Amino acid sequence: MATDRSRRRGVTVLAAVSLLVAVLYVTGGVVSGLRSAANLVVAPFSWTINTIAKPVGHMFSGTVNYSDVVAQNQKLRYELGRAQLRANEGWALARQLTELTSEMKLPFVRSLPTVMAQVTTLSPTNFAATIDISKGRDDGVLVGMPVVANGGLVGSVIATTPHGATVRLISDANSVVGVTYGSQQTSLVISGRGVNNGLGATAIPLTTSLNPGTVLYTDGLSGALFPPGLPVAKVRRVTLTPGAATFNLTMQPTADLRHMMYLDVILWEPST
Amino acid sequence: MNRALAPVIVVTLLIVGLQLSILSSLRFSGVVIMLVWVWPLVVGLAGLTNLAVWSAVVAGVFFDTHSTTPFGLTAAVGMILAYGASRLGKEGVGDLDSAAWWVTPLLAGVAGFFAPLLYVIGGFVTFNFSLWRASLFNMMVVNAVAFAVLSRPLARVAQLAGGLGARARR
Repeated sequence: MATDRSRRRGVTVLAAVSLLVAVLYVTGGVVSGLRSAANLVVAPFSWTINTIAKPVGHMFSGTVNYSDVVAQNQKLRYELGRAQLRANEGWALARQLTELTSEMKLPFVRSLPTVMAQVTTLSPTNFAATIDISKGRDDGVLVGMPVVANGGLVGSVIATTPHGATVRLISDANSVVGVTYGSQQTSLVISGRGVNNGLGATAIPLTTSLNPGTVLYTDGLSGALFPPGLPVAKVRRVTLTPGAATFNLTMQPTADLRHMMYLDVILWEPST
Repeated sequence: MNRALAPVIVVTLLIVGLQLSILSSLRFSGVVIMLVWVWPLVVGLAGLTNLAVWSAVVAGVFFDTHSTTPFGLTAAVGMILAYGASRLGKEGVGDLDSAAWWVTPLLAGVAGFFAPLLYVIGGFVTFNFSLWRASLFNMMVVNAVAFAVLSRPLARVAQLAGGLGARARR
């Protein structure tokens, strides 16, 4: 009986502590310190498992997928060659564009400094689309800075440490990006739909002409979270509801968010 | 319980390490298998209430330090699973040695199915209203299958860590 009572008390105390921690999270503060302390405890275990399991895993997958690895290597070499060619061709155009945009007093991403970073950890959970990167405050990375890779906007920095940062991907359910397309007269707001669900935009007036395949860029309006001209997404599906005055869009990020090794943090802060 | 706490906590930390190092990048249909929930569940099914709840708290809190989701929510869901499972474990339901072989996987499968849903409901409680937008049904199905598959081997580990294996050998 006494054991039962003490057990119940123990469970109640633990439940209360959990609730307290959740409340602390909501109200902010304390938690960042708690996170850092807990990180220190888990780090040796993660390191041990990584040291043992990763080489074995790599060896195994390398053996099983050897032909794929060779094919991928060849494809990458080909793509690298094409990219270099395009870079050379685009150099002159980029220079012209930079001059034009600077005359229009608009920031252009090519003129903005970037920091290259490596992806260190993918989001460990199903409920948040984030990644950790290898560059942090000491390298000039600050909260709010945009991150690009694989041909488009990837997300923005939401937390930093001296030697690392956490990036919220544009596919995260809490992510919102202001975009435009074509002649840049129409602006839309697109939001993430969760880890595996791409992007979406709702309640777009029927007067807006958007077709599958249209590429959307950051609009860079006053107070925007991203500089203008970053490719964000490509329209995949237009959903029309009969009788409705608006339609919905399903989009695919232009950057391949599932295969990222390296990315660039644009050293650009949103204006307040 | 006190003597068993240390090995169970060590295994719990290893489970967290495994979750963060391996399972976060090894997705099935885009879904991460939540080993940090399976472990407290099977410890609970072994009838070790306090150890199950402690392992849920430790696994959840340490896991949440690496996630941007509401801090403590993984622990809270783990605790609910652990406590519920331990009630069944106390009655011998789901115990590897006394129940039918399929009972533990079945119970784990049911728990795995509802665990992501519990998490989303918990998200509403902590004013995070965007968790449901993830592919919830996918998560429920994949985790149900994974929980069922992993439950028996992990329950064996739980028995050993909790000292039950040693007692049975005696």
